[in-house]
Amino acid sequence: MDTCIEKIRTICADLLAKGEVQKVIGFAEGSIPMASRPIAVTAKADVEKLVFNSFCGLNLANYVADGLPKEGKIAVLAKGCDSRNLVTHMVENQVSRDQLYIIGIPCTGMVDKRKIAALFEDDITDFSEAGDTLTIVSPQKKETVSKKEMLRHNCRMCTHRNPVVFDVMAAEPVEEQTLDQPFADVDRIAAMDPDERWAHFQELTKNCIRCYACRNACPLCYCPTCFVDESAPQWVGKGQDKTDINTFHFLRAFHCAGRCTDCGACVEACPMGINVRDFTRKLNKDALELFGWEAGMDMEKRPPLDVYSPDDPDDFIK
Amino acid sequence: MNFITIDKKDWAGGIDKSRKTFQVFGPVQDENGCQIKPLAPDLYPLMDAGVTTVMSPKSVLFPQTEKMLTATLDASHEDHHVMKPVEKADTPRAVLGIRPYDARAIQLVKLNFDNPDYQDPYWCGACAATTFVGLGVNRPGPCDFSTSTGCGPFSEEGLDVLLADLDDRYLAKILTQKGETWAAACGFDTKADAAESQALFDILKKEAEKNITASVDTDRLSEKSLLDLHEAPFWEDVAFSCINCGTCTYVCPTCWCFDIQDETKHKTATRFRNWDTCMSPLFTHHASGHNPRESKVQRVRQRFMHKLKYFVDKYDQGIMCVGCGRCVASCPVNIDIREVCKTMNNYEKE
Amino acid sequence: MMGNLLEHMGVERDRLHFSWISSAEATKFVDVVKEISDKVRALDTDKKFAKDYTK
Repeated sequence: MDTCIEKIRTICADLLAKGEVQKVIGFAEGSIPMASRPIAVTAKADVEKLVFNSFCGLNLANYVADGLPKEGKIAVLAKGCDSRNLVTHMVENQVSRDQLYIIGIPCTGMVDKRKIAALFEDDITDFSEAGDTLTIVSPQKKETVSKKEMLRHNCRMCTHRNPVVFDVMAAEPVEEQTLDQPFADVDRIAAMDPDERWAHFQELTKNCIRCYACRNACPLCYCPTCFVDESAPQWVGKGQDKTDINTFHFLRAFHCAGRCTDCGACVEACPMGINVRDFTRKLNKDALELFGWEAGMDMEKRPPLDVYSPDDPDDFIK
Repeated sequence: MNFITIDKKDWAGGIDKSRKTFQVFGPVQDENGCQIKPLAPDLYPLMDAGVTTVMSPKSVLFPQTEKMLTATLDASHEDHHVMKPVEKADTPRAVLGIRPYDARAIQLVKLNFDNPDYQDPYWCGACAATTFVGLGVNRPGPCDFSTSTGCGPFSEEGLDVLLADLDDRYLAKILTQKGETWAAACGFDTKADAAESQALFDILKKEAEKNITASVDTDRLSEKSLLDLHEAPFWEDVAFSCINCGTCTYVCPTCWCFDIQDETKHKTATRFRNWDTCMSPLFTHHASGHNPRESKVQRVRQRFMHKLKYFVDKYDQGIMCVGCGRCVASCPVNIDIREVCKTMNNYEKE
Repeated sequence: MMGNLLEHMGVERDRLHFSWISSAEATKFVDVVKEISDKVRALDTDKKFAKDYTK
């Protein structure tokens, strides 16, 4: 992948030097292999800290709503999915277009760290990439793999790799994928009988520790008080009862219904690597099939769960 | 000091024998990583995991959700609305294959749950019933900085037995009476020469410690002024990426905070204790509505100040960290306690 | 969509019902409540989204 980091740094240095933006939100190098960390750069000299590579899997739109200055703009690096979340933020009145300078980055996908770690029996000590080739090293061995084979599932299913809104693009647009079966994972679960499905979701969340990393990494989850944190009345228990765990995941997914861009930040953030996308993917499929809707593609349209139209499907209402 | 040789061929059989008297816990691999779990009769601990467990063994003594008391709300019962302790069977348990830093962590947590002023009956009961069988770490991972925190890959503090992996066998150093009882329950009784065994342990320890690549300096933390560190300008940068989840606190073997809640269903009320995290905005939310740590920066600062300064000053036992590296490996935004410690240790007020 | 997600998780679709009923439609209200009660009773007691404090 053309990581276009030099262009990104030049753009940011320029913006900061001219005072066009007060800060740039991007990624910096992590302290362990296969890690990157979100960073806010305010001084031109610090743009050298910015990086962009195949493990910038978090969604920077998550940092926008809190980081807005009273006046002036902030710049944010946005992959395809991130840009769609920025559109959603604007449609939902969390930020206005003139507060943002969006640096669009066409993305060829992020790698699945767990899939890579599974190739080894011990801890990885070094990771490097050149184009499609990834070289990973541990005390026991060295592996060379193709990035295409190590992509995260949501990146393999991605049909919006190019940013949909931007002030400047840091690289040439990449070719969009066309998928024969865009929701094969959802279909696989739907083909199971009800008890099997329930068992699948129980197995999926068996190691959930209610850390809320998924919720907090999600750019859509910006409620001042989340429903699980309400106490008057308290809707959900805070313990490890399976019903509480199920309720949290089910209802959080539902709060993202028709808004989720499948950016994968939730799975990336989860310390257990739980594929909580199994909840949201079904809703994404329904939004597309029932309403012809994909989140964050159009700044002018209201989302389907936001407006009533006489054409809305209503055969489920008595 | 007793030393016992355990042929690996006899290991599984020994564990099975011990299941008569012990509930056995240990690391197992599943889709989400290496986890400490109670081991069903046909499950054995993964002793040669190259990576550490995602969660620490603290949950054996301090479960994430624990029933404390229960009461009936049915007025027709004589003892209605009287909270009673839940029937607890503190059956003997053995946690196998833990890393020495996790055993030291239990000793640090003990300062909180078992001290002259206050003893937590739940934690103390569980601790008294648990035997810790540790495994020396021959090849510490890149996030392991346990030697900087007062323990190390072959540290014995808090363990009842320390095992050394010698390819075809384990060499066991029995450290306490509990350790003796466990070994006897397994039927492991092949004595090994004490002097030779200790020498072997010393060599392995030296080799393992040489393999530790990560370190932190903590020597100047206690001399720093608490207020200077608190008011330092670097907290904004440290805290920017933090998403205030509970990952670091939940994977940490030395974090001990909890929340108590009552839940009612029909005519039964139950009081639970759940893990809580200082990273949550609700953690310091007062009943009045005031929240002294409303902002993210305040909470992030609090966590590191607690671990690396307040604890240091209060207990004079080093930092509230055993260098397991789990928070470093699991933090979604790669906030690294080693970097923060370095910043704090080197901080000079301008 | 909520019904679809619950069904996708393995919860019977007949546990969730929707209806627009005005306060002036008392007869409709009675009919709908009867229908829902019958449908839900026909299913086993729910164990999936129910907390069990005896455990």
